[in-house]
Amino acid sequence: MKRITAFLASVLLCFSLSGCSGNGKEEQNPASTPGFEPLNQVEEGRKNIYLIVKNLDSSYWKVIIDGARDGGEFFDCNVYCSGTYVETDWQEQKRLLDDALAAGADAVLLAPDDSVMLSEKIDEIYQKGIPIVLLDTIANTDSYDVCYMTDNLMAGQRAAQEMLSQLKQSGVADSDSIQIGLQLGAASSQTISERLAGFFKYWSKNAPESWEIISDIKCNDGYLDKAVECAEELLEYPNLRGVFGTNNSSTRGFARVVREQERTDIVVVGFDYSDDIATLINDEAYRASTILQKQYYMSYSGVETALKLISGEEMPVKFVDMGVIVVNKDTIQQAEVQETLIHN
Amino acid sequence: MMKARNLGIPQEISKHFSFIKMLVIYLLICGAGVSLLLASFDGLIRNNNKKLTGDVCRLVTEKMNNSIGRISGSAENMAALLSAQDHYDLQELYEILSQDSVGSEYVSIGFIDADDHIYASSSELGEFEKWGLLDIARLADPVSISAPYRSGKTGQPVFTMFVDYTYGGGKQGYLFLTYPLKEIQKMAYTESLTGDAEIWLMEADSDNIIQCAGPNRYALGMWDNALIAIRKPIDAKYQKAYEDWKNRMNAGEESAGVTYKIHGETYTQVYSKINFMHGWYVVVRIPDSALSSAIQQFRTSVSIFLGILLIATAVMFVVFHRREAKEKKVLENLSIRDPLTSALNRRAFDFTVDQYLGYLGKTLKNEAALLFMDVDYFKRVNDRFGHEAGDRILTGFSAALKEVFGDEGYISRYGGDEFVVLVRNGDQEQVSRKLELLQKKAAQIRPCDKEEECGDFVLTFSCGAALYPKDADNLNSLKERADDALYIVKENGRNGFGWYRKEKATL
Repeated sequence: MKRITAFLASVLLCFSLSGCSGNGKEEQNPASTPGFEPLNQVEEGRKNIYLIVKNLDSSYWKVIIDGARDGGEFFDCNVYCSGTYVETDWQEQKRLLDDALAAGADAVLLAPDDSVMLSEKIDEIYQKGIPIVLLDTIANTDSYDVCYMTDNLMAGQRAAQEMLSQLKQSGVADSDSIQIGLQLGAASSQTISERLAGFFKYWSKNAPESWEIISDIKCNDGYLDKAVECAEELLEYPNLRGVFGTNNSSTRGFARVVREQERTDIVVVGFDYSDDIATLINDEAYRASTILQKQYYMSYSGVETALKLISGEEMPVKFVDMGVIVVNKDTIQQAEVQETLIHN
Repeated sequence: MMKARNLGIPQEISKHFSFIKMLVIYLLICGAGVSLLLASFDGLIRNNNKKLTGDVCRLVTEKMNNSIGRISGSAENMAALLSAQDHYDLQELYEILSQDSVGSEYVSIGFIDADDHIYASSSELGEFEKWGLLDIARLADPVSISAPYRSGKTGQPVFTMFVDYTYGGGKQGYLFLTYPLKEIQKMAYTESLTGDAEIWLMEADSDNIIQCAGPNRYALGMWDNALIAIRKPIDAKYQKAYEDWKNRMNAGEESAGVTYKIHGETYTQVYSKINFMHGWYVVVRIPDSALSSAIQQFRTSVSIFLGILLIATAVMFVVFHRREAKEKKVLENLSIRDPLTSALNRRAFDFTVDQYLGYLGKTLKNEAALLFMDVDYFKRVNDRFGHEAGDRILTGFSAALKEVFGDEGYISRYGGDEFVVLVRNGDQEQVSRKLELLQKKAAQIRPCDKEEECGDFVLTFSCGAALYPKDADNLNSLKERADDALYIVKENGRNGFGWYRKEKATL
């Protein structure tokens, strides 16, 4: 029964993630930034919270919007949402922040498109005494109330820990000379850099000396086709026993090639949930794991915190690492994993 | 001399030609000099840059180590003071000191007792576990510093310094102070190199780096990995040099430098061990262009100045030369030309023809003909029509000579109504035909403005001719022969021309 439930859940999730499963990068919608729309039934007398996200078209950000909607319902407030279609369009976010203030926002939830360029505007809002909660990305200023995000350095360490664990479970001995291949999305992305640094940090302290990371780290620039090519090149290394994808495209590239070539000797560890990695995780012949962020809870907790701040409560911390969960064939049935998958 | 004979005034051509040649040589020498100067200047800059960037990198690393030493020094002083006070209740001490930390340069303060109990806020306790800070504390001798991490309390990157101290009658514990990473960034800040120097903290084992200073504001305080951020973009030729440099760090050497290129730009990179931060190094990278920008500006200014100077000198030479040439021409005309007819005067004619005949004599080229001419009855023209009419006849006759003999002849007014022409490359037959043409042209020269005033006047001339080298091989003899021939023409009633014959001139 459990297996049938897991299967149905994974099919449903794969279907829900079809928005980002096309070949290559998610397409950028050229449409202009829309105005704020209420996420729940607007009621007089409730506090008004304005959410601004990075990409209205992305499945990742849709989960964040869902979290804010549910938070608004649960904590009894009105939540309005808007955002940009391009994750670098900070000027539009600046305009949306002005619009939110003009509309009488009691608090703002912002996922900044640019951590440097938006700092001044964030300072301005904070100085006006309007609570501002950052989601997913921190800004280059102290003038915000709290930031809910994933500590990607920790997430990278968790990935390395999972890789070591899976390799050992697959029977690789400490004395074996093996190689690990790494693939990145965009080399210049801070998120990716921190995941990579976290992976190296944990690996350098915990991996046996004869387990070597291949210095030729591949970069696919976010394109799935290129990710597949990079994966094929890495799989040619004779002693390769593990591959790590730092983002969705890298993970999908690895999962696809490992399955095509039926390389059941390779451990795949990646990030994000896609049909490719889900298929591999659900196939007993392979050893695959993926790391998931808890973005749903970023906005859900963000709404709760915003209301507390409006009521004058002070937050003891400014930075909250939402943590990650590891999905593999051993954990996929766990309640926490299932709940996170539902919100993915 | 070869070209000079075609234009009549040999010296003028030679001088003009030699001026252009001299100008080109001058420009070439100056250009070569400037190029040599700039090339040696560039070489000097390159060598200096290599040395300077290395020195600056080392200075920055020293500066950072000194600053970290200052911070750790004050932490050690605090630990020494607390040790001297020999506290027994660490919880009470923690509460007092953490209240006092507001306004300090550190973010928070706390203690670890001999049983590894940590006196810190709940968020900090989480960080101790998350970042393995207890293990770092145990490395304190007397100080140890953690790698930077993001603080829950501030949301900003921080690092924690641990100092060993004693409490409760000699028990061994650790005092810890957490500082914002900005403190290290402030240490790394070098005003003169802002935007050029990149400074990282680097962990040797993992190749992880944290940027403390650099042009990319987004990267400041963020984690990255040197394999991607530093090594990957380096030109393939320098990968080995980088690897050697990294191996020296892995081997625990205190400091080492490397020079490499990325897309044609040369960088110098130096690391230096950070005191108390085990396994971590400060790495400084500076592009050569950062130090040479001021010198490059000076070089550009010097190049522009030299270029302008060269052009100005060349223009000045040309202007002076033209003015001089113009003045010379005026003076030359005054000294060699007959002012009325613009034909050569006697002295200029004799000099030029003498040179020309000398040239012919050396090269054994074509022959030449000397013509001695008198306007017939010129005195009567003056008497009948006046001196102005006389001048008009002479001017007209000179113009007719130029028309007929053109560039082939040196034409001279020898005195009064006497004209002498040396026809180059002319044989007897050709020259005779031209003299017949001259006769026709002379007949058309009128002394008066109005035709009715001239009456039946027809201008004629007498001409005696001799050939070089057939009749004579020098100018004086040639003139004598031509004069003899003229004499016979005159004897025979004028209005005609005759060639010298050894026996007698003939019509």
